[in-house]
Amino acid sequence: MTAHHANAIELRGIGRRYPGVVALDGVDLVLEAGRIHALAGENGAGKSTLIKILGGAERPDAGSMRLFGEPYAPRTPLDASRAGIRVVHQELQMLEAMTVAENLLFDDFPCKAFGLLDRRALRSRAKELLARVGLEGLDPSTQVATLGMAHRQLIEIARALSAQSRVMVLDEPTATLTPRETRQLLAIMRQLRDEGVAVVFVSHHLEELFEVCDSVTVLRNGRHIQTVPMSQTSPDELVRQMVGRGVEPGRETAARPAGGGTPALEVRGLRFAGQRGRGGIDLTLHAGEIVGLAGLVGSGRTETVRAIFGADRRVAGEILRDGRPVDIQAPQDALQAGICLLTENRKDEGLVLDMPIAANVSLASLRSVSSRGLLRRDEETRIARRAGDDLRIRMSGVQQHARQLSGGNQQKVVLAKWLQRAPRVLILDEPTRGVDVGAKAEIHLLLQRMAADGVALLVVSSDLRELMGLCDRMLVLSKGTLAGEVARPDFDEEAILAMAYQEYLRSADTDHVRAA
Amino acid sequence: MQTPTMSEPLESAAPLPGHWRRGSTLVLREAGIGIALLVLVAVFAALSPIFLTASNITNIFTQISINIILAVGMTFVILIGGIDLSVGSVMALCAVVAGTALKVEGLSEPAAIGLAALASVGVGALCGLANGAISAAWSIPSFIVTLGMLNVARGAALQWTQARTIYEFPDAFNEFGTATFAGIPALFLVALLLVAIGWFVLNRTVFGRLVYAIGNNEEAVRLAGHPVKAIKVAAFVIAGVAVGIGAVVYMARLTIASPIVGIGFELNAIAAVIIGGTSLSGGRGSIIGKLLGACIIGVLANGLILIGMSDFLRQMVTGAVIILAVILDVVRARLTRRTA
Repeated sequence: MTAHHANAIELRGIGRRYPGVVALDGVDLVLEAGRIHALAGENGAGKSTLIKILGGAERPDAGSMRLFGEPYAPRTPLDASRAGIRVVHQELQMLEAMTVAENLLFDDFPCKAFGLLDRRALRSRAKELLARVGLEGLDPSTQVATLGMAHRQLIEIARALSAQSRVMVLDEPTATLTPRETRQLLAIMRQLRDEGVAVVFVSHHLEELFEVCDSVTVLRNGRHIQTVPMSQTSPDELVRQMVGRGVEPGRETAARPAGGGTPALEVRGLRFAGQRGRGGIDLTLHAGEIVGLAGLVGSGRTETVRAIFGADRRVAGEILRDGRPVDIQAPQDALQAGICLLTENRKDEGLVLDMPIAANVSLASLRSVSSRGLLRRDEETRIARRAGDDLRIRMSGVQQHARQLSGGNQQKVVLAKWLQRAPRVLILDEPTRGVDVGAKAEIHLLLQRMAADGVALLVVSSDLRELMGLCDRMLVLSKGTLAGEVARPDFDEEAILAMAYQEYLRSADTDHVRAA
Repeated sequence: MQTPTMSEPLESAAPLPGHWRRGSTLVLREAGIGIALLVLVAVFAALSPIFLTASNITNIFTQISINIILAVGMTFVILIGGIDLSVGSVMALCAVVAGTALKVEGLSEPAAIGLAALASVGVGALCGLANGAISAAWSIPSFIVTLGMLNVARGAALQWTQARTIYEFPDAFNEFGTATFAGIPALFLVALLLVAIGWFVLNRTVFGRLVYAIGNNEEAVRLAGHPVKAIKVAAFVIAGVAVGIGAVVYMARLTIASPIVGIGFELNAIAAVIIGGTSLSGGRGSIIGKLLGACIIGVLANGLILIGMSDFLRQMVTGAVIILAVILDVVRARLTRRTA
């Protein structure tokens, strides 16, 4: 490779704040042409934000960007794409009803005179691109909807290849690939590198990073920790850096005695649809206990709690409440058994955004604000006002629409909805995501009060520190398998993260089972 | 990183009290339709000397009754995010079944009328049940299911009567079609009663609350433990019942039952609902708005005839008004979102 006069990409001091959160704080990222660079960090470390900024989907609040020495300030993904930067996102955006060829060349359809589609060119160019990602055998006129995730991922990459990119960002591309397809993808990355493209690679699979990358940048809590050549670090070292050595002192949480006797909730051999890994998930939850469910994004935390609640189908497994088996087929069965679930996406699953706060608070307990099918609006208003006071919801009145509230107050409304049911088991999926610091602390206090009142709580969070501060016990999921359990005295960020990575670090042998 | 504190940033204070704003947009929305209606009335009154006469007003009331009744049912279906295209055809099927019942020999007049009303409502409810159950069971868009029902019901009505019209109903029945109280047609009073019931159900019952909530966020309602599919089916059954009542009202007015009545009525009902400010994507809109929407369509139809506009042109104007109403709806939704 010839030496370039400038780095392909030079990001200096990049900062990005969201309301109540600092996503990135003075991050540097330098890519050289013809190199593969790894971007590593825990969930929420700032990788996604950095990629969005690179790809023009977000704009930084601070810092400078240079592309081959020229100032670079994309306003839209299209700007980035024109500048030669392509991002292959984790969530694929494909036109399912259209053919592979049409998806591949969507950005730049080959045309003849009068804007007529040049079908022959479409087909031949699509075939070339497919060959580059090892899909020679795939007919370009296949409809995308008929293909599996792995094929789609490769097609998305082929699509990025069509644009003659100078910089290619691959965000978790191997998450859905089999070992064989992963090897194929790594080969493509090497090929791109040899062609002089600067490649950014994000993966939870550390062994892949070590196999293919030249250097790595570690982020933690939105900060740049360090950039080193791959040869000067090790998987253990990387995990340590992602976690950080100095674990914050735990909060004043009084360690509650792990209640003995019959568990409030017991789950045996749970398997959810599409679960990876072997065996089922077992967990127990005692009254008065806050248990954390930790794991990487995609490790099956959300699927597990949704299956317990009956929001999604359970493939196998038994659920016991206070020692008695309960048959949970749908949310109403779980509610009947005193189990509530605060879902991770409050806007899509928790709130009725364009209805009043009062209606949202009463949504799961309409029986208590009605008699013989008729609403008792005074009662509903009274209950909503009281919930507003108890949870310190900032609102102009209970008739205000949920849409108009801030994230923290919206989350409090969803909590208020479930509290009206007086749950004995409360499961919370990312209860403080997108919630400002003040409301976050209030929600934590509320959960602790509930535990003190004898409610059993199961909390899913991508923020390990949150779980360490809040929980009595932690369960760690790794790739759909329960990798371990840690009691509060033994909380150690490094050890927990190692468990979370456990299944991803296993050799490809075990992967063959699911690939087959 | 953070200290536990009960204080909170002040970011969440809404610029305007929400309930006030919501109240005002609701009032504004309805007021807007009301004003449009008044403007229409004023224009036609100026253009035609007959428009504001007592007999023409009675006439308009009679004409719009049927559309109001159908629109009340349609409101439930559109609120849950569905649509019912089978309304006109189902009405014809209800009418011919009821017409047959009216002609059953050996029954006293009141018994025959009672049987006919029951039969009409029953057939309507069954068709609604089929629409709702099929679309819920297989998650098929109601647009498609009811399009099929449109053909099934029309065919059934034609088959039932061998395409003949049924007439010579009991006198008491026919008199109901022309009866008035204080100059207001009995048919219109039936329509107003249904509007009142519809309003009550939507605003004062748990079921009505869930209908609105499903239109806004079906998943949140499901996760709150409510039987979403059953409620959706019920909305279609209500639409069917409204069609059954509408069929009886229409027969009383025409004094016949024909298998070819009601063609295009579904579009009028949908138009009334949309002009009345109900979002086609569900979850938003009031039943009072529907009443005004139906009035606008009725006044427009009547007034345009009086000023001598041709059938064909009238159709074009009505269609244009519906498109205009939808545009206004979209613009309004965009404005509300921006201020929120």
